[in-house]
Amino acid sequence: MRRLLAALLTLLACAAPARAQQDTARPPGIRLITRYAPATRPALAIRPFAGANAPAEVLDSLTTIVRRDLEYADRFSLLQTPAALATGAVDYQQWNALRVMYVVTGELTPAAAGYELELVVHDVVYGKVRVSRRLRLPAETSPAFRLAAHAASDDVVRTITGRPGIAATRIAFTRQNPRAGGPTQTYDLLVVDSDGFGQRRLGGVAGLIFSPAWSPDGTRLLYTQNQGGWKLVERDVASGTVRTIDVGQANMITTPGYSPDGRRVAFAMWQTTAMELYEYNLAERCCLKRLTTVRGDDQSPTYSPDGSRIAFMATRLGLPHIYVMPANGGAQQRISPYVHGQNGYYTSPDWSPTGTEIAFHGHWNSRGTYQIMIADAARPGAQIRQLTSEGANEDPSWAPDGRHLVFTHAGVRGSSPGLYVVDTGTGTRRPLTTGTDAYRLADWSPVLLTAADLEVAGP
Amino acid sequence: MLRKAALVLLIAGLPLAACAKKPPAPVEPPKPTLPDTAGQGAARERARQDSIAAAERARAEAAAREATARATAVLQEMVFFDYDVSELRQDAQEALGRKVPILRANAGITLRVTGHADERGSLEYNLALGMRRAQSVKDYLAGFGIDGARIQIDSMGEDQPLDEGHDEAAWAKNRRAEFGITGGGNAITLPGS
Repeated sequence: MRRLLAALLTLLACAAPARAQQDTARPPGIRLITRYAPATRPALAIRPFAGANAPAEVLDSLTTIVRRDLEYADRFSLLQTPAALATGAVDYQQWNALRVMYVVTGELTPAAAGYELELVVHDVVYGKVRVSRRLRLPAETSPAFRLAAHAASDDVVRTITGRPGIAATRIAFTRQNPRAGGPTQTYDLLVVDSDGFGQRRLGGVAGLIFSPAWSPDGTRLLYTQNQGGWKLVERDVASGTVRTIDVGQANMITTPGYSPDGRRVAFAMWQTTAMELYEYNLAERCCLKRLTTVRGDDQSPTYSPDGSRIAFMATRLGLPHIYVMPANGGAQQRISPYVHGQNGYYTSPDWSPTGTEIAFHGHWNSRGTYQIMIADAARPGAQIRQLTSEGANEDPSWAPDGRHLVFTHAGVRGSSPGLYVVDTGTGTRRPLTTGTDAYRLADWSPVLLTAADLEVAGP
Repeated sequence: MLRKAALVLLIAGLPLAACAKKPPAPVEPPKPTLPDTAGQGAARERARQDSIAAAERARAEAAAREATARATAVLQEMVFFDYDVSELRQDAQEALGRKVPILRANAGITLRVTGHADERGSLEYNLALGMRRAQSVKDYLAGFGIDGARIQIDSMGEDQPLDEGHDEAAWAKNRRAEFGITGGGNAITLPGS
């Protein structure tokens, strides 16, 4: 991790392409510097959850899930609970002596169809309970148990940092299955919990499945598939119902995405001679509108969080670059660095759900491998941050906290190919689901459940 | 194939037909197991005629099958592309040129042209690149008067490599357009035959 942190680069694209041309390892006009502002990570301890009448393995499992979630939040430094402080009343003085700032305790009681969890965040510095909640959890045998545990973790993050957690989320992705000698290739659509557990297959087709995208309410997935003809389809995640969104005749449809209000979808479609961007009114099932007309291919539209703009990939310069335009079409501005004479290649943008950052992957010349980069949409061409440097890394998608990204890693010496998560705040990287290069095109869901959904009404 | 089929028919016809076409040398008739009668002689003559007609039909069918097979091979010959471009190389233009007379002589043939890309480039970008390659093929054939309605285009991006390798030799094979005959492929006339 330290090596990765050190390798974390910032790429500065300035308007002086003539400089530094003697340096073949680096792009002319682009300066690489390491840049990470150290952030405060408050020390936090989780006491093993207690409960005289709850099964020990459920207590263990719940404690493990919450502890892992809080590690993966990348906002705390987690400390082990000393045996002497593991039970009884929370001794603020002793915790304070250990320089622990927050202690989380949980009391689990069997209740109808599951458990009740009393979750308490203790503020050691002020010597008092910060928040105490009673949450209803389903039985550990229920598929909803893990998501409820994740929602409890997110509540701790929100209580302490005021920021949303991302534990109660899932990542959708596709799997390209081996061809097994036959001409027909099958593809599956899968989801996995944010902590890499609970992976399951939602469905599959004999043909291609591409570019799954979560609906803003987290209930549906939009993607395209090719089974002797391309279709735009929407799947209800809970019921598995799949329906085709009829957008008319097309040779190819790719890279769909919802507008933040969920009423519209934008996608790329090849109707006659090129990939162009289109918008369709999903709410009223009408009004197909073409958004781009410039020569070359346009793909991968992604809405700004307020829905007013779209970032996308376009090949008008020959190789793909990232552009931003108004959501209903119009003036376009390039945000990826263009250096004359270098075959820069930037694609697969995803607009941060919380800010002006746009993540994408690319390389600045033809010798490079793909790396994950971030641009500031508000300052086009100003500054590009590069988050990865080893192996090939592609297709980033933002978590709802606007801080973590999931991406595909092709694997290099000592690392397994698959989906990884990187924290753009600290550079910390962790595997999400790995062991195969067949996983791809990940999309991070919105928050699927919050503690408010589980809260037991007060007495 | 044709010769083998004819030979099989000749051998099968021997016990019935007293004579084969080639060589014209008389073949000794098999020893009759029953006394020869006028009715049996007429039946034998009918059978002889039938067998000749069948052999000729078979020859014609085999010739048609061979023509169809040869035309199919020409139509299905893949064309290859340079890295990250959809423009047709000279060899690709020549391969397409060989398809044109067949498509002209057989107006019922419809094609599905599927573009492919090598593994470099992003997954989604490569889908579009494959589509551009298929479109180039369609446009080129249209330049020879082949109706665009007969050609459906599609792309598999980088997902169906011919060669699973990770070097230029493999990539060169994978940057291609493939041709599927979607209609009128059962009997194809070779122009000039």
